[in-house]
Amino acid sequence: MDWPVLSIMLFTPLVGSVIVLALPKEKPALLKWVALAISFIPLILAALVWFSYDRGTGGMQFVERAAWISAINVHYYLGVDGISVPMVCLTALLTTLSLFYSFIIDQRPKEYFAFFLLLETAMLGVFMSLDFFLFYVFWELSLVPMYFLIGIWGGPRREYAAIKFFLYTLVGSVAMLLAVIAMYLETGSWDILEMARLQPFSTNLTLAAVAFWAVFLGFAIKVPVFPFHTWLPDAHVEAPTAGSVILAGILLKLGAYGMIRILLPIFPAMFRQFAPVVGILAAISIVYGALVAMSQWDLKKLIAYSSVNHMGYVMLGVTAAAAAAGSGPAAADSQAIALNGAVLQMWNHGIITGALFFLVGVIYERAHTRDLKAFGGLGAKVPTFAGILTVTTFASLGLPGLAGFVSEFLVFRGAFALIRPFAIVSSLGIVISAAYLLWKVIQHVLLGPLNERWARLTDMNRREVITLAPLIFFMVIFGLYPAPILDLINQAVVTIVGSL
Amino acid sequence: MLPTLSVLNLNGAVPQIAVAGAGMLIMLIDALFHRGSRRWAAYLALLGLAVALARVVESGASAETILDGALARDGLGMAFALVLIVAAALSVLVAMDYLRREEHERAEYYALILFATAGGLAMAMANDLVAVFIGLETLSISLYVLSAFFTGDAASREAALKYLLLGAFASAFFLYGIALLYGASGTTRLVEMGTAIRLAGTQADPLLWGGVALIIVGVGFKLALVPFHSWAPDVYQGAPTSVTAFMSVASKVAAFAALVRLLVVVLAPAAPLTSALLALLAVLTMTVGNILALAQDEVKRLLAYSSIAQAGYILVAAVAGEVGAAAVLFYLLGYAFTNLGAFAVVLAWSRRGEGRLPFSDLAGLGFRRPWTAAALSLFLLSLTGMPLTVGFVGKLYLFGAAVQAGWTWLAIVAVLNSVVSAFYYLRLVVIMYMREAEMPLALQRAGLALGVALAVCAAGVILLGLVPGVALDWARQAVAVVLS
Amino acid sequence: MIPLTWYLVLSAVLFCIGLYGVLARRNAIAILMGAELMLNSANINLAAFERYVAAGSVAGQVFVIFNIAVAAAEAAVGLALILAIYRSRDTVSVEEVDLLKG
Repeated sequence: MDWPVLSIMLFTPLVGSVIVLALPKEKPALLKWVALAISFIPLILAALVWFSYDRGTGGMQFVERAAWISAINVHYYLGVDGISVPMVCLTALLTTLSLFYSFIIDQRPKEYFAFFLLLETAMLGVFMSLDFFLFYVFWELSLVPMYFLIGIWGGPRREYAAIKFFLYTLVGSVAMLLAVIAMYLETGSWDILEMARLQPFSTNLTLAAVAFWAVFLGFAIKVPVFPFHTWLPDAHVEAPTAGSVILAGILLKLGAYGMIRILLPIFPAMFRQFAPVVGILAAISIVYGALVAMSQWDLKKLIAYSSVNHMGYVMLGVTAAAAAAGSGPAAADSQAIALNGAVLQMWNHGIITGALFFLVGVIYERAHTRDLKAFGGLGAKVPTFAGILTVTTFASLGLPGLAGFVSEFLVFRGAFALIRPFAIVSSLGIVISAAYLLWKVIQHVLLGPLNERWARLTDMNRREVITLAPLIFFMVIFGLYPAPILDLINQAVVTIVGSL
Repeated sequence: MLPTLSVLNLNGAVPQIAVAGAGMLIMLIDALFHRGSRRWAAYLALLGLAVALARVVESGASAETILDGALARDGLGMAFALVLIVAAALSVLVAMDYLRREEHERAEYYALILFATAGGLAMAMANDLVAVFIGLETLSISLYVLSAFFTGDAASREAALKYLLLGAFASAFFLYGIALLYGASGTTRLVEMGTAIRLAGTQADPLLWGGVALIIVGVGFKLALVPFHSWAPDVYQGAPTSVTAFMSVASKVAAFAALVRLLVVVLAPAAPLTSALLALLAVLTMTVGNILALAQDEVKRLLAYSSIAQAGYILVAAVAGEVGAAAVLFYLLGYAFTNLGAFAVVLAWSRRGEGRLPFSDLAGLGFRRPWTAAALSLFLLSLTGMPLTVGFVGKLYLFGAAVQAGWTWLAIVAVLNSVVSAFYYLRLVVIMYMREAEMPLALQRAGLALGVALAVCAAGVILLGLVPGVALDWARQAVAVVLS
Repeated sequence: MIPLTWYLVLSAVLFCIGLYGVLARRNAIAILMGAELMLNSANINLAAFERYVAAGSVAGQVFVIFNIAVAAAEAAVGLALILAIYRSRDTVSVEEVDLLKG
């Protein structure tokens, strides 16, 4: 493609956010439709990229590169491969759905939609950047709109949650920044692929270890990996529905994406050396996340903790690939399988948890409570809601035939071959998550006697069904036939595994 | 033998002459025809600054000296001079409406700003300790008077007295240090002094070490480095807000210019010891400044502590010596826009006759004053060091210089401090956007001059953050040309 | 001839007396006087060094003359401020001048 498709996709939302700000605030409907219309442009382009990415050639495609700050060798450098393409599509899809769902926002809609579009630019930028400086710029930029979205449109403890979210992520990112500055001074380049080739600090192991952990911290807080997850429940619970969707669906993926795109290729030796530590953290995230989720009675908090659990599988897959770094073609198959699973799990978690948060929003807007003890027997009362919730929950717990199963299976298939003890411990998480999803979500919400309070509860309206339909579609289609997306991911994963 | 005119090279001193001359002209005109509005004085001041700026930009850097070697027209001096002139011009713009609103519009204000700037210019370009000291005193004495400018305001007077007493005290240390360096080297010329010190070696000359220590104490007071910072919050709070804005930027630019030159030209042989000392001061300054800022509930005082901490960040690069000089210069340029902008918003929002701006007054302003609030958010994010603002590039450059010079631990401390600072900067944003006002503030419309100043500051912050290449190259080339 | 050390000792003693004055006195005028004393001790140093170390150059003497002028300007501003505060508060003690915290 000889036109800058990535740049256009990247900056359309930014321009859109300015346009939305310029519209009169007396016409909220107009600006909502304009924002939604604008968000379709990156969505269409993302689909275009998905279909026109040349799977035969692989590697980075649609590359754009221009000097930006030549004094310190910074480039405006974009490109996507099989790992970033699904993430870019996920971002565009969830943003459009979130904007559509957010039509109910009455409080300062102009600023809300402007921030949301700005957020889309930042998130797309992270997934497209191949220059570390540019990556960091978008990484930090994604904090600001989310901070406002939580802080202005959030729940009762929004101020606290917003600041906590901002500061936690900032701590991690500045640690990462320092390491990156040191890496730049060592290699003279900000180019992420170049850095992976040059392997900074390969002679100074102490420095390499420090840099590894600094970068790890930056990504781990975002994923989040236990014990850096404490910001997540607060942010999720307080954020407005669409904010939670984006937070769980995409912002967490930024961290996992960084692990795969940056940490693993640049520090393979360090990652292998510290794989046991990271593996323990991943296993704890999985089991602990599931256990804490099981003990929640707030539906939104439960799903927030289930994210800790599910993102733990991503970490487990990455760790499995890292643990065998440098051991040659013997392990390459299992490594590739684990990493494929990790990336697919990122996509699936985005789709499934995004849907779950939408569903929490649907019920909360009607019932004004998220207390699981207050529900019961809604299954017969609101059949559409019940159906969609059931499918999504089953996808989340990894029922074969739905999307979650495929990725979890791949992760465990790789992890059992490479890091068996951690995989065994982690498999507990699957059992526990099945337990809490069935017991807490299905049983407490849908089954049992109907609480009289909900006698006049209405079922999902058209807007909500339209929002959720694409997500259900992807859960089913990639559960039954994951080949299209796996082909895409596998290309890039094999390249990374080959370079380790 | 008297120096001839060609030795004096007055042509090169046009910036100083234009600035000081405009100041004297203002005094004169005001004394002869004092009647009506004093707007003209502001325009005259801007004109003087414009002439100086044009001269600085047009003549560029060279190795020649001015006034028989007292001042250097090298890249370092001219670059810091440029930053200072820009800051002074913005300060004039910021003050115009404010002085009228507070009914203290008098022509001397602009004259004093110009005299202070002339002093700062002398410091930035000084090649002689005499010039450094005279420049420092011209700057300081003008600032003492400016701090007391709101006659009838007791806080303003007290701030001025406190500033003056501690300033005189610090000047004495500085001068004693200069005297000792003079004794150690037999000259007051920086270049010759550097040569003498290099030849003599650095081993155990008590005069040299005593001199260096005392000079650092003196500069430390001027820059409000911890533990010499106790005057700053009170003076910043008590002085008229427009003066605080000017002072927080101008005295930093001038003092850092002199410090960088001393470190590069004179004290390079003594680098291990001076760096260790400055690193200690940097750690104290950043940490104490940030921790005290956390406890504030009033914006002006918060910005006072924040600018203490900011001096600490800049010092991190100064520790790196020659490697860090360009970073110091670039950061100060960005800091001038950022800090002046932030103070300009404070001044636009504070109640008439009252210098304070309590946090509670900010509530709800995010939506009632969308443009000004967006500008303040931008400045605060830049002070925090968020990407796409000049604060990010500046800090990257500062801390990068420290890492490059082997001061990694210092950079780590600085970065941790940035995180702490994010907490109090963001708190202002939280209050502006996320709280409703209990008792909405009666706001005046900001005047045109203030609007222009805010727009320039915001544009500077964004442009230098988005396309810093030109300015980075400029800073790097400027500090490469040092008279030595 | 009197050795250089004597001058240096004299100047150091003056500096310390001035320092003591600044730190120990509560009267603003006394503090100002202390600071002036410290400035003048540096002037003695400059003059002495000019005579003993850098004989032939006039820089030291010139510097001293500049310093005297500067100190006078500083004192003028300082006394004016003290006077203004005295008029409104009836005191020149720095402990009672406490509108600002800290």
